[in-house]
Amino acid sequence: MKAILRTESLGKYFGEMAAVHEVNLSLQEGLFTSVIGPNGAGKTTLINILSGYMLPDRGKIYFREKEITRLGPDKRVKMGISRSFQVMNIFPRMTVFQNILLPVLSRLNKTSSAFSSLQSQKEAVGEAEKILGEVWLQKEKDSRGGELSHGDQRLLELGIAVATNPQLCFLDEPSSGMNPIERIKVLELVKKLASERNTTFIIVEHDMDIVFSLSDWIVVMNRGEVLAEGKPGDIRENQEVRDIYLGEDI
Amino acid sequence: MKTRLAILILVVLLALLPAYAGKYAVYVVIHILLLSIFSLGFNLLFGYTGLLSFGQAGFYAMGAYGCAKILLAYPSLLVGIVGGVVTAGAVSLLLGFLCIRHTRIYFSMLTLSFGMMIFSLAWKWRDMTGGDDGLVGIPRAPLEIPGLFKINMAPMENYYYVVLAFAILAITLFYRIVHSPMGLAMQGIRDSETRTACIGISVRKYRLLSFTIAGLYAGLAGALLPPLESTVTPPLAHWSHSAEPVLATLLGGVHTFAGPIVGSVLFYLLKDIIVRFTEYWQLCLGIIVVVLVMGFRGGVASIFLRERGRR
Ligand SMILES: Nc1ncnc2c1ncn2[C@@H]1O[C@H](COP(=O)(O)OP(=O)(O)OP(=O)(O)O)[C@@H](O)[C@H]1O
Ligand SMILES: [Mg+2]
Repeated sequence: MKAILRTESLGKYFGEMAAVHEVNLSLQEGLFTSVIGPNGAGKTTLINILSGYMLPDRGKIYFREKEITRLGPDKRVKMGISRSFQVMNIFPRMTVFQNILLPVLSRLNKTSSAFSSLQSQKEAVGEAEKILGEVWLQKEKDSRGGELSHGDQRLLELGIAVATNPQLCFLDEPSSGMNPIERIKVLELVKKLASERNTTFIIVEHDMDIVFSLSDWIVVMNRGEVLAEGKPGDIRENQEVRDIYLGEDI
Repeated sequence: MKTRLAILILVVLLALLPAYAGKYAVYVVIHILLLSIFSLGFNLLFGYTGLLSFGQAGFYAMGAYGCAKILLAYPSLLVGIVGGVVTAGAVSLLLGFLCIRHTRIYFSMLTLSFGMMIFSLAWKWRDMTGGDDGLVGIPRAPLEIPGLFKINMAPMENYYYVVLAFAILAITLFYRIVHSPMGLAMQGIRDSETRTACIGISVRKYRLLSFTIAGLYAGLAGALLPPLESTVTPPLAHWSHSAEPVLATLLGGVHTFAGPIVGSVLFYLLKDIIVRFTEYWQLCLGIIVVVLVMGFRGGVASIFLRERGRR
């Protein structure tokens, strides 16, 4: 197997505080990878740096061995990296359909077309319809993004992230705010998308049962550093990991 | 279907206007059309891209002065108007590079400052602009394509048709732009700049495009003015003139396609009526605008277009 994304001594500091420190990761293509860790461990910051949303203060990032450390987020998306957000970040005033159509148009390099109607973009429209179905939002198509229920907004968030057809996709707590049953459904959907679309997903998830049952690989972060990484079985046995999750059943 | 019919009737009514209405009405409608073009451009930035500009009068003035200078040197209506639009477009592209790096209040303040810089240029650069006297004696040159046709513009009714044609063209183009993939990208930026960047769209590129198109529209409105009034003066660039498309758009509705147009009609008529009764017209107008904006959340135009939530 080969690394789809690799980091060298990655660091991000907010004043005195090291949100991400000395992170050397090698994410494998095709492995369903989870990033776990307590609140404030630096998971979101790591995704922010890897997706180009923030620039690191130290270190380097390679995507398929091409350096992308200082590339902006839009350029990284064009290379095949996308993400979702922990705090809902959809297009609230646009319809659900348009929410999905826009990233598809972006992928097809159609957004500079100024005089054609949206309906005339047949290929994009078809693809957006398909994705809507995949994330179970076909019926909500004409509602505005901001009017959806919380759970549907999370699905839309996921839909937007996969609509650029990424090779590598970071999902920051895709099931946050959902009940345990919904959580499992959503994470199983992500797994299904992973195999159908050939996308490598890196997810941040707090529900340990789900993490350990669905992941191929787990990265544990604590205080900005990678504490351990490995297969679910090995992580479960790791004493340091058990210590930071003291009291919790993992 | 209903909307189409309404538009058709409106266009026919406008086309026949000189036949049933007096000179003054024609003059008023020309001004309303100019304000509509001006406000639509403004709303591409505000309602569709999420950037509130307080400096659009600067580009309006660029169009007006550009057109005036050309007409004074070379009396051809088309050359003047196109020249004015190009001038405004070039300046807005240039200033756009600087302005669109910022958003929210910083963007607004920057556009305000650039607008006022253009105002002081119009005021101080006497050799070029005529200073506070402005440029006078601008001819309403004939509409001419050498070898093809030449239409006399001396009667205002003739010029009205030129303005009407440009307005219909501008509005149609605008409709296409905001319903195109590019328009959707701009709306994405308005809704969430970070999300738009994270789906592979260059936020700066589309902000700059939006800024430049808004500048072109302001320039077109401005370029159509000197042939009507035969004079241009610095107040065209003043910030209080920048406020007109802002108020018209708020009145009519930010999130409806026709909002800025409906707002322009209301704004101009209100102003025209109030000015006759009191010298405190700005105060009265301000109060009425506030009441209407608060009374009709989403703008007056939203009453007509509620059903489909059209933008
Ligand atoms: N923009 C910022 N400015 C200052 N501090 C920040 C910023 N973003 C994150 N931090 C800090 O960096 C640390 C890591 O935050 P981060 O959001 O990456 O954690 P996390 O692992 O995603 O936590 P959670 O599970 O709560 O989402 C926290 O202490 C946070 O307060
Ligand atoms: Mg987080």
